Amino acid sequence: MDQQDRIMDGDLQTLGLQSILKMLALSGKTGKLFVSSGPETLAISLRKGQIVGLHEDGVPQPDILGMLCLINKLDPPRAQMIRELSQGDMQVALAMLVERGWMSESEMQQRLEFAVTQSISHALRWVNGRFAFHRQLVPMESKLRPLDVDSVLLEALRQADEWEKIASEGITQFTRITVARWQPEVSNDVRSLGLNQESIEVLCLSNGELSLQAVALVLMVPEARIACIMAHLFELGLIEVVDTVLETELQQDLSNIIIKCQYTLAQYRNTSGAEQHLLGLVTTLSECINGLLIHHGTYAKSLRGRGHVPSMEIVRYLEGCFGQHLRTLAKQQFSILDTATFHYGQLDCTDILTLSKVVKGEQLEEFYWEAVQGLAAFLRVIFTELLRDEVGNSHTGRQLTVAWRIFLSEIDHDIQQYQFYRAQRKAQKRGYENAHPPSLGIVPNWSAAPDNNGGFWSPETRRRSI
Amino acid sequence: MPEPTVLVVDDSPTVRKIVQMTLQREHIRVITVGDGLSALTSVADEMPAVILLDIQLPRMDGYQICQIIRKNLQFRQIPIIMLSGKDGLFDKMRGRLAGSTEYLTKPFDSVELVQTVKKHLINWQERVPVPQQNMRHRLRYRG
Repeated sequence: MDQQDRIMDGDLQTLGLQSILKMLALSGKTGKLFVSSGPETLAISLRKGQIVGLHEDGVPQPDILGMLCLINKLDPPRAQMIRELSQGDMQVALAMLVERGWMSESEMQQRLEFAVTQSISHALRWVNGRFAFHRQLVPMESKLRPLDVDSVLLEALRQADEWEKIASEGITQFTRITVARWQPEVSNDVRSLGLNQESIEVLCLSNGELSLQAVALVLMVPEARIACIMAHLFELGLIEVVDTVLETELQQDLSNIIIKCQYTLAQYRNTSGAEQHLLGLVTTLSECINGLLIHHGTYAKSLRGRGHVPSMEIVRYLEGCFGQHLRTLAKQQFSILDTATFHYGQLDCTDILTLSKVVKGEQLEEFYWEAVQGLAAFLRVIFTELLRDEVGNSHTGRQLTVAWRIFLSEIDHDIQQYQFYRAQRKAQKRGYENAHPPSLGIVPNWSAAPDNNGGFWSPETRRRSI
Repeated sequence: MPEPTVLVVDDSPTVRKIVQMTLQREHIRVITVGDGLSALTSVADEMPAVILLDIQLPRMDGYQICQIIRKNLQFRQIPIIMLSGKDGLFDKMRGRLAGSTEYLTKPFDSVELVQTVKKHLINWQERVPVPQQNMRHRLRYRG
């Protein structure tokens, strides 16, 4: 940016945005006004004293196309096409929609004007910051019809006053970057909740992904009004405020656990012998369960945000949450789980992992097999409960559920391979398939390194079975 | 200018999904493939800004893929981050000799993954060559 093009700059405390804009409008200036406060910057393009463009930096820009899909105004494939062509530029995207006849020209203008007003209204509330006006930086072409500064300022100030009003009413926890999501417990038809249409729309868009600013933009309702509606929905227990920083942290932690367990699973795939393979599955499952328990001890809704929580309280909480499930599984289906106990908030599987010291051969394999099934069932219970509590029915929650299901399918694949081998072996024992011993090719890595310790995979065993 | 794309090549669907989820949260476009040949096709079709490449892959291993990409004038500048469960010096050396830019050991940390990818996404635009229609053809015959 050329220094000589900068014809005016200063401090917002000395000269507020309202006065600057008014001054530039009165003198019919052409150029770009940069206003910044903290990490946020607003660039307002003026031509002959009228607003012809606005760009915001420092805050994530809402995906207007995605939001139009959410309110059924655009098909997802069309949105994807426009997204790729417009490369994230909202003005270009809207113009493309108009070109293709998917949006009216007047709606585009309304949306652009609304976005400009919202941004200026937000910047009007900045107390500290700087401004600079540069001439000769105005884009040649703009989709926005030139806007009169006075009328934009009037509406922006009115909206800024609304924010002040709701702040005085005690609604302070909602800002334009607040993300809300509906509570997982809410599963009724929204029309049965007795809410007005505006509240229903806000509730439906509170998906844990869209910011308050984005909801305002898509519905073309002032941000302060959206904040008011969200506060009401919050009071009714229909939505909760999402802490995006916490969710990022939480997702990273869970991703690390899954990656670590997938690595353990892959390591044991290279082992030979059915027992070793089952032992690998037991190890992977117990590692995963304990990883999730540690995670939940940090991120459980009732434990987080309380500063330092005594470890005994965490232990009691975890055992209270999952102890009963473990006992039920042990009682009803997998009695081997009786040997796994909770110890300081961790599932102690030492007895299962050291079973080879007590039993041998087929009996050992049977125990391992039962343990694999029992632990896999318990793992599913833990993850379901953990996600429901920590992230609920949010975008992050759904993403993690997909990742989790994929990981479980890898475990299931290994379990199925063993089941197949087991079925074949049973059939062979009955004498139906004496000519066809269990195929060693079912689990490629087992056959790749046959052991010679008399296990089912050794050449010795094959000879015996034939 | 198109947005930068990260190509993830791993035979484990879990790793593919986790890496995709982690990078997408950082607003990075991700495409994933599960074997070596599909990886080469994707390199030619998508011109990724960074490649995350597992070593043990079906049909063609990570070292071979790395060598093919490095021999191709069109794609040799693409940073290749090897993802491997092998953390021995020999494996790292082998990866380096095959032409990898960086080596991440499994199980990797998602924060470290993001940092490494972002490091190599800086200045990616300077590496983007002039688009050519027959890129896939050139990759096959030069490789």
